[in-house]
Amino acid sequence: MGIVEEAHNVKVLGKGNRYIVLAHGFGTDQSVWKHFVPNIVDDFRVVLYDNMGAGTTNPEYFDSERYSSLEGYAYDLLAILEEIGIDSCIFVGHSVSAMIGVIASISRPDLFHKLIMVSSSPRYLNDVNYFGGFEQEDLNQLFKAIADNYKAWCFGFAPLAVGGDMDSVAVQEFSRTLFNMRPDIALIVSRTIFQSDMRQILNLVTVPCHIIQAEKDMAVPVMVSEYLHQHLGGPSIVEVMATDGHLPQLSSPDIVIPVLLKHIQLNIESTSCQRNYNTFQNQDASSTKATNAETSSLMKMEADL
Amino acid sequence: MVGNNLATSVTQLPEEILSKVFAGITHTRTRNSLSLVCQSFYRLERKTRTSLTLRGNARDLYRIPTSFTHVTNLDVSLLSPWGHALFCSPITADSPLLAQRLRNAFPRVTSLTLYVRHPQTLQLLLFNHWPDLRQLRLVRWHQRPQGLQPGSDFAALFSRCRSLTSLDLSSFYHWPEDLPPVLSANTAATASLRRLNLLTTSFTEGFKSNQIESITSSCPNLEHFLVACNFDPRYIGFVGDETLFAIASNCPKLKLLHMADTSSFTNPRGDEEAGEDARLNRGTLEALFSGLPLLEELVLDVCKNVTESSVSLEMLSSKCPNLKVVKLGQFQGICLAIGSRLDGIALCHGLRSLSVNNCGDLDDMGLIEIGRGCSRLVKFEIQGCKLVTEKGLRTMACLLRRTLIDVKVASCVNLDAAATLRAFEPIQDRIERLHFDCVWKENDNFGHGFCNFDLNALDGLNGSELMDSFGRDECGEDTSNRKRQKCVYGSEADDSFLQSNGNSNGYYGNSWDKLQYLSLWIKVGDLLTQLPSAGLEDCPNLEEICIKVEGDCRGQPKPAVSEFGLSILACYPQLSKMQLDCGDTKGFVYTAPSGQMDLSLWERFFLNGIGSLSLNELHYWPPQDEDVNQRCLSLPAAGLLQECYTLRKLFIHGTTHEHFMNFFLKIPNLRDVQLREDYYPAPENDMSTEMRVGSCSRFEDALNRRQICD
Repeated sequence: MGIVEEAHNVKVLGKGNRYIVLAHGFGTDQSVWKHFVPNIVDDFRVVLYDNMGAGTTNPEYFDSERYSSLEGYAYDLLAILEEIGIDSCIFVGHSVSAMIGVIASISRPDLFHKLIMVSSSPRYLNDVNYFGGFEQEDLNQLFKAIADNYKAWCFGFAPLAVGGDMDSVAVQEFSRTLFNMRPDIALIVSRTIFQSDMRQILNLVTVPCHIIQAEKDMAVPVMVSEYLHQHLGGPSIVEVMATDGHLPQLSSPDIVIPVLLKHIQLNIESTSCQRNYNTFQNQDASSTKATNAETSSLMKMEADL
Repeated sequence: MVGNNLATSVTQLPEEILSKVFAGITHTRTRNSLSLVCQSFYRLERKTRTSLTLRGNARDLYRIPTSFTHVTNLDVSLLSPWGHALFCSPITADSPLLAQRLRNAFPRVTSLTLYVRHPQTLQLLLFNHWPDLRQLRLVRWHQRPQGLQPGSDFAALFSRCRSLTSLDLSSFYHWPEDLPPVLSANTAATASLRRLNLLTTSFTEGFKSNQIESITSSCPNLEHFLVACNFDPRYIGFVGDETLFAIASNCPKLKLLHMADTSSFTNPRGDEEAGEDARLNRGTLEALFSGLPLLEELVLDVCKNVTESSVSLEMLSSKCPNLKVVKLGQFQGICLAIGSRLDGIALCHGLRSLSVNNCGDLDDMGLIEIGRGCSRLVKFEIQGCKLVTEKGLRTMACLLRRTLIDVKVASCVNLDAAATLRAFEPIQDRIERLHFDCVWKENDNFGHGFCNFDLNALDGLNGSELMDSFGRDECGEDTSNRKRQKCVYGSEADDSFLQSNGNSNGYYGNSWDKLQYLSLWIKVGDLLTQLPSAGLEDCPNLEEICIKVEGDCRGQPKPAVSEFGLSILACYPQLSKMQLDCGDTKGFVYTAPSGQMDLSLWERFFLNGIGSLSLNELHYWPPQDEDVNQRCLSLPAAGLLQECYTLRKLFIHGTTHEHFMNFFLKIPNLRDVQLREDYYPAPENDMSTEMRVGSCSRFEDALNRRQICD
């Protein structure tokens, strides 16, 4: 086993002639896909790996320079793909890993047949004309709690802040896994995530993107998936699932698994509706002024396609 | 002449005497120190060490110590990584050589405990097996390997070891159909089997009636037989009359019979109102008892009602004169307490230990009758008996004052924590082991008087009169029956009563002098802080405590206080060993719906304050998320455990991240840490565990690299 495979606990399971790569979000590890894997091992070669900084990896390998931006993680992903020798895969990324997949696909679009983005967001902090779900005060409380954990940890005390202590429900939802990482890594990772703004690069994406969203995810408002759909460079489709929470593959596998399977099996058709959306991409962000009602009806149409 | 040697030291004793002295030492650390004194002590210590538990890393097996050649009891089930498939992962050309090396290092083994993840481990080890191997205990909490042929776990065992006397499968997950065919195919070997423990707690279904009959007929010389089965008449293969007849006729030499329904494993506190009856009639029980005259220990944990058992139990006392230990689950009418006549179980005068579970009609009169009849009881346990109250229990405790030292009271509606403690006041200075439920009631009156009693004038009294004489609040109330007479039990006991009787209406010293082991059950969300004020203020010799927290966190409100109350235990100065079992506390690890609390918050609540106790050894079972079969340590839990600076041994019965394990490296004297997922199913592969093999090895290397000062 090469060093990359060993460091990331890479597992390749199943049999088939196409590869599916499953990437987990922060604070968890590849076991977050445990309910999903049995459904695909018979038809595909499934690649699982742990992000650096996950609890299952060697803490010595976490380089705070490299991982101060999402590009570091994208390089890791590309290294894994190269080590295994994959020339084309379906990439399923949860939460921040979906953005990592997006970055990787911009540098190497040939490696990605399609990207399936589960509960992902290009930017979490609210902005003018953009609703990411988080206000600066909420994030400040989060950073303070993580910093307190870090200080306690450095001095040998117990890091006691947990996600449930946060006031904002959005922060609670998103950070419950963040608070399960080692405090210094959590500090770096949380800054990396919340300071990243992937909106500018979305139009550089050329591979097809399947955006999968939970109906009630406090950390990723439904508006975000609509934003992604409109701004991604390649063809994209949105599906909103009737699930609750930021980890739908763990909390509601019976709803999520059929949706994921469907998006793996089927490709995005280019229909007249689709082309209409393509024209929106040339307009600026003001198109997001569409009201909630309009966007939800738009998305329902997508889901029916 | 050594006239100038003013001091003769112990090293000058002849070897024969020294060996006898060393042979009597069982404490491992003392032995280790002894072996460092000088060469002759080293030799002697190694010669007299008969029991060893190995805790190294399996990849270092080739470096196994070879000086312990006299060890007869060897335990290799705890090698790291825990649950490792010894010699088999991966199986190489070296594997038989490693197995041989293990055998050569311990040539005299007669009793072996082994984790058998895959039957190949056993096959390799037994290939050239120990000639004197008599007792074997197998451990497996992982799932049975896929595609295994039925019986292949045991086939090698019985074909190679022809003189095995004891086999213990209580921690070994297998299928019930694996064993009986192997036993019946090897009757020459099974004729020597004396002890068979099939009380496998990981079973959900247990052995069927025909399997039990087959097993007992293959092993006619059994003296100890323990089996998990099913007494529910609705199930195929339930244990009924024929099964018990078969047991008695196949194995007449039985001294210990222990039959437990598998529902007692999954639901140990049981329902009192399980209305179904078992299919066991009186005649069968009587035939069973008659057929087993050598019986010393009987456990029938039926989990379905056995009605009107009083007459059968009378048979028990007459047919089984050696009976010392009895445990009955859901037997109704065990003693009818009519008048002052002793009946039922109370006729078993020789009983040392009695456990009664879910006997719905056992009341205070019954307790008192048991106290009068089973007058030599050392251990008494009662669970789920809704009619017993403090008065009856207290009277019984007084009656059994001479012998009773181990008591357990659980799930009895009328006996909350304070009531239980009050009931045991008369034997407060004698109790060594105690269990009760931490059920706190609002309006406890903690003041309670003690009164005079006289044990000689008891014979004529019936139950209610006895209760009156023990239970009255006012002292000094005098009737002709209760004149003070000299107690027959010895004057010093009497003196302490007389002295304490001096205070009227106060309780006499709150000190539980002999209490060494305390076990508590508490519902999730309740606090431990009231423990000392409930009556357990002064326990000068309490060394070990076991706390079980049970319940469902899902839907519970966030705890109002930040601490469960572990720091209250600092009032017990000798407390050094703790088991904190939150394993039956269920909740969400990551997937709590909005507004509900993750388990990380609950773990913080439970463990807050644990650093203030000077614990030496800690076993911790994290709460579990059933939906994803996850029992893992969260960040605040790891941080709080790290604050126990005096810990030497830490065992976590669950999984955790490597990052969190590294927290423990800050505990200066920590010597032994292991993640033991000894629950079924143990996390099988990387899809459900946080601790990879590499992480485990890295952590242990880091742990062992540190300087050890003692």
